[in-house]
Amino acid sequence: MNIRLISIVTLTAALAACSSTPDRNNALEQARSKFETAQSNPQVTTHAADELQQAQNSLRKAEGAWKSREKDGSIEHLSYLATQRVVIAEETASNRAAQVIISEAAAERDKMRLALRTSEADAAKQRLALSEQSNAARAAALAEAEIAAERQRERASELEQAAMREQERVNELEKQLAELNAKQTDRGLVVTLGDVLFDTGKSELMAQGTRNVNKLAEVLEKNPEAKILIEGHTDNVGNDTYNYGLAQRRADAVQSALARQGIPSDRMTTRSHGPDMPAADNSTAAGRQMNRRVEIIFESEND
Amino acid sequence: MKILHMLRFTTAARALMLGSAILLVLGGCASTPVPVSQMAVAEASVQSANSSNTSEHAPGELQIAIAKLASARAAMSRKDYVEARRLAEQAELDARVAQVRAQSVSARKAAQESQEAARVLREELNRNTYN
Repeated sequence: MNIRLISIVTLTAALAACSSTPDRNNALEQARSKFETAQSNPQVTTHAADELQQAQNSLRKAEGAWKSREKDGSIEHLSYLATQRVVIAEETASNRAAQVIISEAAAERDKMRLALRTSEADAAKQRLALSEQSNAARAAALAEAEIAAERQRERASELEQAAMREQERVNELEKQLAELNAKQTDRGLVVTLGDVLFDTGKSELMAQGTRNVNKLAEVLEKNPEAKILIEGHTDNVGNDTYNYGLAQRRADAVQSALARQGIPSDRMTTRSHGPDMPAADNSTAAGRQMNRRVEIIFESEND
Repeated sequence: MKILHMLRFTTAARALMLGSAILLVLGGCASTPVPVSQMAVAEASVQSANSSNTSEHAPGELQIAIAKLASARAAMSRKDYVEARRLAEQAELDARVAQVRAQSVSARKAAQESQEAARVLREELNRNTYN
């Protein structure tokens, strides 16, 4: 066992002695390693192929010196030159790659400047179109508003004219009814036909009463729009049933008289208030006389 | 010595001419070839590299090249032509390393700046597009 081991060791030693290759040279190893790194760098092979070739030639010289076992630092010197040539190749490649980037960036910048100008022009066009659109819309709205305002003015003037006409009509009616002592009240123009125009306790109109009724008919004919309310009133003497009946009959008598003058009955309404709405004090004879009456109310047209 | 002193301050072309003269004078008595043309090439290379861009972006590399050229001159003056040739060869490549490194440093910087400018413009474009 021991003998075998010893013989193997001896054999190994013998073989080692036989294959005595030249010593490794650190400078050369370093140059080779640097060259291999550069050779595997695509940037260097693309942009500095000639420089890399020169580095390789330089490395071959260093390897040649090493193979012919030159002394006096020749291997180190040539390895140094090879290493520097690798550095030159690498830096040249880096420089040219940067130049490519610069020209590409310049081209991109030009392209983007153009795009920027185009987009600015487009934006300006768009803004212009928008402002034109909004101007048109504003003009249309303005025109519409003007039309509406005009309509409103027309309507206001129509209303004003209608009010004026109504006022004129009322004034006219008032003038026409002046002879009949018409009074302006909250309920409209009121004409009172007094007790003296009727026979006592009767509902027939006396001559003066008839004249007044004829005058009323004339006014109503002139104002075909006018409608009247005929209300009968009494004093508080006698029983209510009688008084209500009398007041109604007197109102009806006025209506019949007007109808005979050609006033359509749909323009007239009668009502009896009996003693309910005294116009004066019932405790005196004069007051009671004032309470016995028929009131003709010209209804306001607007009601 | 006087000739060498002058050489230090001549241009590459002059160096080449003077180098030729030295070769004629010294050629007879030296056993190894005098690296006159290699010295001239190194001088030219260092001079070409010695620019404001290089001293700004690769000052260390430039100093190495200048120092090595000075060593080469010193070797020449003591007639150590083997050493002078090597140093001159190295100075030439050192100067080129300084030069291309400075160039690539400033080019990378410029590339970064132009990419940044493009980015700014792109952002502006996007803002414009979406506004």
